[in-house]
Amino acid sequence: VGPLPLRQMAQSESSHDEEDEGPTRAKRGKPEVVQDGFLRPVKLSRGDLYKPPTADELNQLKEAESLFHCSLLKMQMEELLKEVALSERRKQLIDSFVQSVTEQLQTVPQTSEVELSDLSWLSGGVKVPFVLVPKAAKGKFHMAPPKSVTIMGSYPLGTCTKPGISVDLAVAIPADVLHPKDALNQRYPRKRAIYLAGLAQHLATSPAIGAMRYSCLHGNRLRPILLLSPPGKDSSSITLRLHACPPPGFFKPSRFHPQRNNIRTDWYTGLGSSQPGEATSEPPTPHYNSSVLGDMLPRAHLQFLTAVSSQCTAFAEGVALLKVWLRQRELDQGVGCFSGFLGSMLLAYLLSCHRVSNTMTAYQLLRNSLHFLAFNDLTENGITLAKGPDSTPSLAEFHTAFQVVFVDPSGHLNMCADMTACTYKQVQHEASLSLQFWDDPTVDGFHALLMTPKPMIRTSDHVFQLCELVKLQSCCKKLNLLSELMDHSGNYVLTALPFILSLLQRGLGQRVRLLTHSLTPDPEWPVESDAPKHNAQPPLSFGLLLNPEQAASVLERGPPADSPKAEEFRQLWGSRSELRRFQDGAITEAVVWEGETTCQKRLVPRQLITHLLQLHADIPESCVRYIGGMLDDVIKVEREVCSTGEEESLKVVQSYDDLSRKLWRLEGLPLSITSVQGAHPALRYTQVFPPVPLKLDYSFFDREKLSRSLVPQEVKPCPVYITPVKVICHMEGSGKWPHDRVAIRHIKAAFHISLGELLTQHHHYTCQPSPSHLDVWKDGLVFRIQVAYHREPQVLRESVSPEGLLIVRDNAEAQALEMDTMQRPLLTSTLHGLQQLHPCFGAVCRLAKRWLGAQLFSDDITEDTADLLVASLFLQPAPFTPPGSPQVGFLRFLHLLSSFDWRNNPLVVNLNSQLTAADYTEIKNDFIASRESLPVMFMATPNDKKVSIWTKQAPTVQMLQRVVMVAAESLKILEPQLMDNSQLQDVRVVMRPPLDPYDVLIHLSPKQVPLLSQAVDPPHATFSRGVLAGRVANTGGALPVIDFNPVTHYLAELRDAFGDLALFFYDPYGGTVIAVLWKPKAFSPLPFKTSQMVARRVEVSGEEAHTVPNVEAILEDFGVMGQGLVKTVEPRTERWVV
Amino acid sequence: MAPSKTKHANQACVIPGGFTVLSLQFSTDSVAQHKICVKEHRVRAEKTTQRPLDRTLFVLNIPPYCSEGVIKELFSQFGPVQSVELREKPGSFEHSGPKLAKYFTPAQKRGFRVGYIVFQKAISITAVKSHPHDVPLIVSTEQRPVWTGLQKWIHQYKQSFAQPDKLQEAVDTFMQDYDKRKEEEAERQKEEAEEQLEDEEGWVKVTRGKSGTKTRPHSEVSNQKALQKESRKRKRKELMNFYTWQHRNTQKEHIAELRKKFEEDKQRIALLRAQRKFRPY
Repeated sequence: VGPLPLRQMAQSESSHDEEDEGPTRAKRGKPEVVQDGFLRPVKLSRGDLYKPPTADELNQLKEAESLFHCSLLKMQMEELLKEVALSERRKQLIDSFVQSVTEQLQTVPQTSEVELSDLSWLSGGVKVPFVLVPKAAKGKFHMAPPKSVTIMGSYPLGTCTKPGISVDLAVAIPADVLHPKDALNQRYPRKRAIYLAGLAQHLATSPAIGAMRYSCLHGNRLRPILLLSPPGKDSSSITLRLHACPPPGFFKPSRFHPQRNNIRTDWYTGLGSSQPGEATSEPPTPHYNSSVLGDMLPRAHLQFLTAVSSQCTAFAEGVALLKVWLRQRELDQGVGCFSGFLGSMLLAYLLSCHRVSNTMTAYQLLRNSLHFLAFNDLTENGITLAKGPDSTPSLAEFHTAFQVVFVDPSGHLNMCADMTACTYKQVQHEASLSLQFWDDPTVDGFHALLMTPKPMIRTSDHVFQLCELVKLQSCCKKLNLLSELMDHSGNYVLTALPFILSLLQRGLGQRVRLLTHSLTPDPEWPVESDAPKHNAQPPLSFGLLLNPEQAASVLERGPPADSPKAEEFRQLWGSRSELRRFQDGAITEAVVWEGETTCQKRLVPRQLITHLLQLHADIPESCVRYIGGMLDDVIKVEREVCSTGEEESLKVVQSYDDLSRKLWRLEGLPLSITSVQGAHPALRYTQVFPPVPLKLDYSFFDREKLSRSLVPQEVKPCPVYITPVKVICHMEGSGKWPHDRVAIRHIKAAFHISLGELLTQHHHYTCQPSPSHLDVWKDGLVFRIQVAYHREPQVLRESVSPEGLLIVRDNAEAQALEMDTMQRPLLTSTLHGLQQLHPCFGAVCRLAKRWLGAQLFSDDITEDTADLLVASLFLQPAPFTPPGSPQVGFLRFLHLLSSFDWRNNPLVVNLNSQLTAADYTEIKNDFIASRESLPVMFMATPNDKKVSIWTKQAPTVQMLQRVVMVAAESLKILEPQLMDNSQLQDVRVVMRPPLDPYDVLIHLSPKQVPLLSQAVDPPHATFSRGVLAGRVANTGGALPVIDFNPVTHYLAELRDAFGDLALFFYDPYGGTVIAVLWKPKAFSPLPFKTSQMVARRVEVSGEEAHTVPNVEAILEDFGVMGQGLVKTVEPRTERWVV
Repeated sequence: MAPSKTKHANQACVIPGGFTVLSLQFSTDSVAQHKICVKEHRVRAEKTTQRPLDRTLFVLNIPPYCSEGVIKELFSQFGPVQSVELREKPGSFEHSGPKLAKYFTPAQKRGFRVGYIVFQKAISITAVKSHPHDVPLIVSTEQRPVWTGLQKWIHQYKQSFAQPDKLQEAVDTFMQDYDKRKEEEAERQKEEAEEQLEDEEGWVKVTRGKSGTKTRPHSEVSNQKALQKESRKRKRKELMNFYTWQHRNTQKEHIAELRKKFEEDKQRIALLRAQRKFRPY
């Protein structure tokens, strides 16, 4: 988080208004209104609005009226397609580059024939892009000019999209280089690799080619490709991929039946023990077979797709949309991906079986393909593009060999050969999720569908990584996967992956809704170096989408001991499985995981995964990097048992429930109680550090003379801070209430007194009434009861004019009271309900607020605002699912803050789903109509559609900008750190604010900061703050020091005195620094006026008197006003001059 | 010329506008000084007994740690002080409603304030105005220390405790007072109402002004309601789609509405395009 232009943020609201003055609109009413990126109500001149319409215009308008939702989406998609389409210039560039490369390729010299294993003819440092294991290989090889060079794939089909444009060029190896039996024992793949090396050597000398690298197709090491990019500045914009392939029809496709073997065990192992007659026992090599087959068919595929796309006009656009959709979900690249090619084939399939028609638009094509994906499980029922049943393998045969089946038009190749079932399930899940919010008029479908990236760390609730991939070698051994290893030609990572996935799936069972894994990216390496090893790749990441009800359960209940399934259960869990007797009398196998508190229970999947991997796959715990609770540390409550505050919150809520029950039952009040409502974050589980029951050390305090209440001593450190938990108690309406504001306050005070007396009398609580509230010391907590009268805001609004007219005027006082006694209790109970639905809601709120506090934004994004922001993540998660762990929730919170377009959109938080689509439209229209007068951060809730009460006061536009910027920075730092174990592992980095942009730092004495232990980096030194360990008494005892925080008093005084000149920032959770920023206009001289003479001194020039801030005196006042609290005042005079 | 005056030691500093600048520092070892401006209080419109024109000093820029008491002490060196009034902003003296107990007086903002100091003698004003600029007033001395910071907050905390019985007493007295006022009010209204009634011989006494016999005043809301009723009545009488031109107008309005909506959509798209919001990655 670097220094940012903070200076601007101190600018006052007024400058904001100036900047928002609209640009002068053209007189003719042309809609040139978006110069400064601001939506404003459209104003057309009368002439434009009422001119006679033409027939065309009339039609157009009618269409827009009837297809309103749809037409906007249509327009948006058209715009998107324009963005991803290739420009003409780019196409010319590609054509000319392809031309020159083709010419170069034709001039490849012929070489003499050598043994296949002899690579001495290769020179110039060019290496073969192949892991030559085992070394032995039969056959001869020589270089020859290619038989043909043809352009293939997405480019000729017109489905090629930006970014990462790659154009495929198939180079046919002449027939005389190959031998019909080369398909056996990797001879053909090796020849192909060597041929590519030969091409690379030849092309290296050509000036028409920029950089040259090797890669392999979809990460398949058997299918290396050569990447060429043009020289000069265009080098990064396009990539040409050279595929070497056999001449058409060279191998018989039936050789590559998924049940056939094409790699002999004795050759692969080098043992040579098997007899010639035993060929039948050889294991099938489906993956190897499909990799060779894949080389032979691209031309046929291209022809097929060209034929299909010529029928359907929107085919290319449909594929482009599908590609964008896949790419946002990180599904389109790497081993076993759902590539754009598969997308085209899928559309072709849908067209061929008439699921979509040729006349459909791109929008409809995308929708139908998602629908198909969502409801068809290719892992069970594969599909085929082949027409009739001839000599091709059956679908059942494909299913035995592969996890996902989608057969190409030839009927021989499974195009999803490398895809794992998990990946397909992920595609299915994403498709059905997309369909869910597509039609929801309350969601910005376009944005969620195609514009929001879904990286794994922000999608999955928990993520874990396997770090040392070498360990998977031993894993293959343990799982006895020799033949599979052979099939994957030694790539042990890919071999082990499906087995690990199925193991985890079995173990996790109902705990997860979805298990996903990262797709290994295609490796790329320079032509001068050897092919990288199989483990030279980023760690394998797995994502878990948790099932909130089951994920945190510590018990794994198995089958009864005598059932036949018990053996299976024992085998899966090994020594962890034990016989247990349950309360219902059943005796079953069971596994019990450790975990007392919610935060420990949340990590049960971690114990489970490490145990299973260790037991079955020989992967030690040290290799598993589990990213699920990395951020929990910052909200941990200091306790013997580690806890992130759920238990403490629960205790507060229970104690409150008890109090409210007792209040209801009180007898002898002049009026009855109509409602008792909590109005404090702790009562909705979102208090960052929930209050903890305390036992006090009386000797630490002084006593107040009359009431014997405890009071702080000056000489000792500031006593422990006790948060009063606010409870609103509404009294019955009655004619006895006076109709006068001051009288109502007195009556309320009388209620406080009598409530206190009754509570003391019946329940022996220590109470302290005051005019504004009643403090009750109960269970080691303090509740602050505030009596409310529902008509009081109304009374505050009324006044009588001199003519005797009763006037009702809204005012700040009435609003504040309404907020305190009505809106906040309502919000508290609503969010309390949300917590019951989503168990990690509170934890996300706490993380979010901890971050806001640490970054000194607590005064701008208030607690209620932050809670609502987080609530919106749970209520409207599209395109995600509601967060299932605090970590993912926090990441999405940062993303929401940094990416939401606050200027042009209201954030609608649909609490209790009370808002309908019509309400949404209404909110939006109202918002646009009066944007400039509304708060910069506009949040609408069911009870507040027009005003945004929670964000009315703050933040200002400058502060919001700053928040957005810092959130983006934090996310940029945090996400890579979580996903990359090579980086410094300290998530607290995002909680440490940069202090260099501030002008003055006021350092506080740690002793007098009562919340010091909540700091991001809590200091080691601890002081006694008057708290004893031990059991907390429920009733009685002296009244403790309540709500006494010197820093709050100090800040209030500073703001009262110098609020016009400077802004003050502070981390309310144990910060020891107050950062001060002068307002930009603070130092400019003002003419002398009696109303503008605050902390200023007069400068006289001639007859004019001006005033400037008396900075020396102000700095001294900082110290004087905070005597005893302030350690030093550090003016950073290098940043400013008076 | 004012600046030249500031250079001379032991002289008052007077700036244009008639204010005299005095220095004020917190304690003797403070290094910086606040500048407070004083002037005799002179407002033509105001003639209240609280601020007699010849004896009242108007003071600007009083730091937050100076309470009424401190100011009184500080200015006693120029002559006996009768009263001190500190306010957030300069303005005329306001009567606050009925006298409230200390528990019920609303908290004040603790910023820089302006003050009205009433001396017992008019001569004190001149004394203040001729006070040399470079001899600062000291707020906190050993004889009368002024509490700030932690000390003050702890003190405030101690003061914040309200004795339940005392509080109850305050409430009771206020409510008695309030009830009495209410009763008097009711009595007065009743009398007025009686006056409006016919006497034995059928005469009504007509009084000037107060016309209402209603116990509750007219409210703004009911006023508006009446107006709305009128306009609705007028509207009902009007015929809407009777003449051809009216019908044509409605159609025109509809098309205009559609046009507006279309333009809005276009604008939204244009905006998103301008912000490159269609670039998916």
